[in-house]
Amino acid sequence: MPQITYIEFNGTPHRLDVEPGLTLMHGARDNNIPGIAADCGGACVCGTCHVYIDEAWRERIGGRTAIESATIEFSNEVAPHSRLACQITITDALDGLVVRLPESQ
Amino acid sequence: MNAVNKPAPHWDPYDQQYFANPYPAWSRLREEAPLYYNEQYDFYAVSRYEDVERGLFDRDTFISGKGGILEMIKQNVPIPPGVFIFEDPPLHTMHRSLLTRVFTPKKMNALEPQIRAFCAKALDPLVAGGRFNFIDNLGSEMPLRVIGMLLGIPEEDLKSVQHRVNENLRTEPGKASDYSEHSFVGEGYEDYLDWRMKNPSDDLMTELLNAEFVDETGTNRKLTRDEILIFINILAGAGNETTNRLIGWTGKVLAEHPDQRRQIYENRALIPQAIEELLRFEPPGPSVGRYVAKDTEFHGQKVPAGSAILFLVGAANRDERKFTNGEAFDIHRARVPHLTFGYGFHACLGNALARIEGRIALDEILNRFPEWHCDLDNAYLSSTSTVRGWETLPAYTPKAGKAPVSIGAAIAKDNAPSGEKWKLLLKTPMGPQEMIMTLTRDGASFSGRIESPMGSEAVNGGKIEGEKLSWVMEVTKPAKLKVTFDVTQSGETMTGTAKLGMFGKAALTGKRV
Ligand code: HEM
Ligand code: FES
Repeated sequence: MPQITYIEFNGTPHRLDVEPGLTLMHGARDNNIPGIAADCGGACVCGTCHVYIDEAWRERIGGRTAIESATIEFSNEVAPHSRLACQITITDALDGLVVRLPESQ
Repeated sequence: MNAVNKPAPHWDPYDQQYFANPYPAWSRLREEAPLYYNEQYDFYAVSRYEDVERGLFDRDTFISGKGGILEMIKQNVPIPPGVFIFEDPPLHTMHRSLLTRVFTPKKMNALEPQIRAFCAKALDPLVAGGRFNFIDNLGSEMPLRVIGMLLGIPEEDLKSVQHRVNENLRTEPGKASDYSEHSFVGEGYEDYLDWRMKNPSDDLMTELLNAEFVDETGTNRKLTRDEILIFINILAGAGNETTNRLIGWTGKVLAEHPDQRRQIYENRALIPQAIEELLRFEPPGPSVGRYVAKDTEFHGQKVPAGSAILFLVGAANRDERKFTNGEAFDIHRARVPHLTFGYGFHACLGNALARIEGRIALDEILNRFPEWHCDLDNAYLSSTSTVRGWETLPAYTPKAGKAPVSIGAAIAKDNAPSGEKWKLLLKTPMGPQEMIMTLTRDGASFSGRIESPMGSEAVNGGKIEGEKLSWVMEVTKPAKLKVTFDVTQSGETMTGTAKLGMFGKAALTGKRV
């Protein structure tokens, strides 16, 4: 299973195996990682699953979808490498992915 | 437990006995009938958090395209494109995303100074007297002004616009189908839109006029005038009544929890979590309806395609499986998201606005009235298929005391023994309908008129038998309908029913004015 690392704002890392087909948001939420709220459950309407993609992975992960671009305006402290975790589906190719969580959702 | 002695759990969305406190009934549904079927009105309801969440997220099984209100779903009211609250993909996605950017928390938070100013204007004149009304003075004023400001409607015109919109919203959805499309068009707003087309500004109307999008045919285009009117109507309809109820519940629930109110008064940083707890505890819109597009199951029981189902947000919000001690009001509880703003693809677009309005309203109330009691004898609760909350909620500070009966009103009543005036509230399945009835008694009969947003109609066949009054009213709008009233008067109030032709019965209450 692809291994994903979520790093909390305070620096605490959480390394998890996430089943391919789930989203990056579900990986965090199902394992109760603090720092992901995901209020809408992955419908891409709330912006509370905001993550920063680690530098090494930015190109491979790619840019936001059109709807995500609108919804991410609901998130705080958005950066160019910000993504909504519910819009990223885990595949084997993402094994080793590292994402950082914002200060608040 | 002896099952024979205990009747099966029951809940009826139209029965007044459940309005004031639906929670015991919902608690039984949650525990004993997690998939509830109401035979009388032929709908299903689920009440556990997990089930409500699952249902609201599954937009392929539970579709919005036939409406989100029980009566609409049952009556198969046609819904014009653009009413995205009642749309499914791809139209829903397309239409909603046009508005997404407008309602971001950042933009809404920037409205704080104006929202505070609206609250100050509404409340300042009442401080000296020590009496105020959560609904009449604040709830029905502030959210309306905020939405008006966003849209760019001059303040002095707001009330009349709102009145026209309410007429539409309240009477339309359940009416005969040849009228129904009418209900969603932003009647009342056309003049402003036409004016804005010629005088662009930085408001939402202008933004919508300029917005470009790719429509369902793949064409890149701007919104039509009718589409914009529909959007405006949805925003005004979805945002005013609901936030108004939130403000009412804030008044009622905090009056009943003075200790927690004092803590908030002393530490305003508690306001956001207090508003979340209020939203959980008394959701202004306690149920969300869907049409079942394909066969499905809850708890091993089948729900066939073609059914109507209600997701009982108000029940899910108190589910012990999710909220420890869920029936208790506690602003300090751990943050577990409530479902008051819905869930999934249709989750409330205006939640950031509603939240900031609720927080500022509470802060500004506390600034002026650190403590209050609610005058529940003169308050009025209504519950419709869309909102549950206070229609009017007078309050007073401990020092001012309850408002005395107005001497002027008492004299006026004594001097007019034959001409009585009653304010009636009819809880139609499509929403509350307020009416003023004047009546003149003549032995065992009476005559009179009823004024309502639908027009002025004569009272026919007025009969009095002791405490019982009955009469008939013929209305032509929204549909040709004979309405038969049966009420019991007790002193200054009356309660009863109105039979709305083929649309069934509606509960009626009245107060002498
Ligand atoms: C306390 C106040 C409010 C409550 C309790 C509330 C509740 C809800 C709920 C439960 C839904 C989901 C309906 C469904 O799934 O069928 C919803 C949708 C919606 N709300 Fe709110 N709302 C509130 C305030 C507002 C405000 C202030 C606005 C805007 C000005 C607004 C605009 C909308 C819109 C446009 C939708 C449709 C979203 C869609 O279908 O994609 N609401 N609201
Ligand atoms: S979970 Fe709501 S936008 Fe991702």
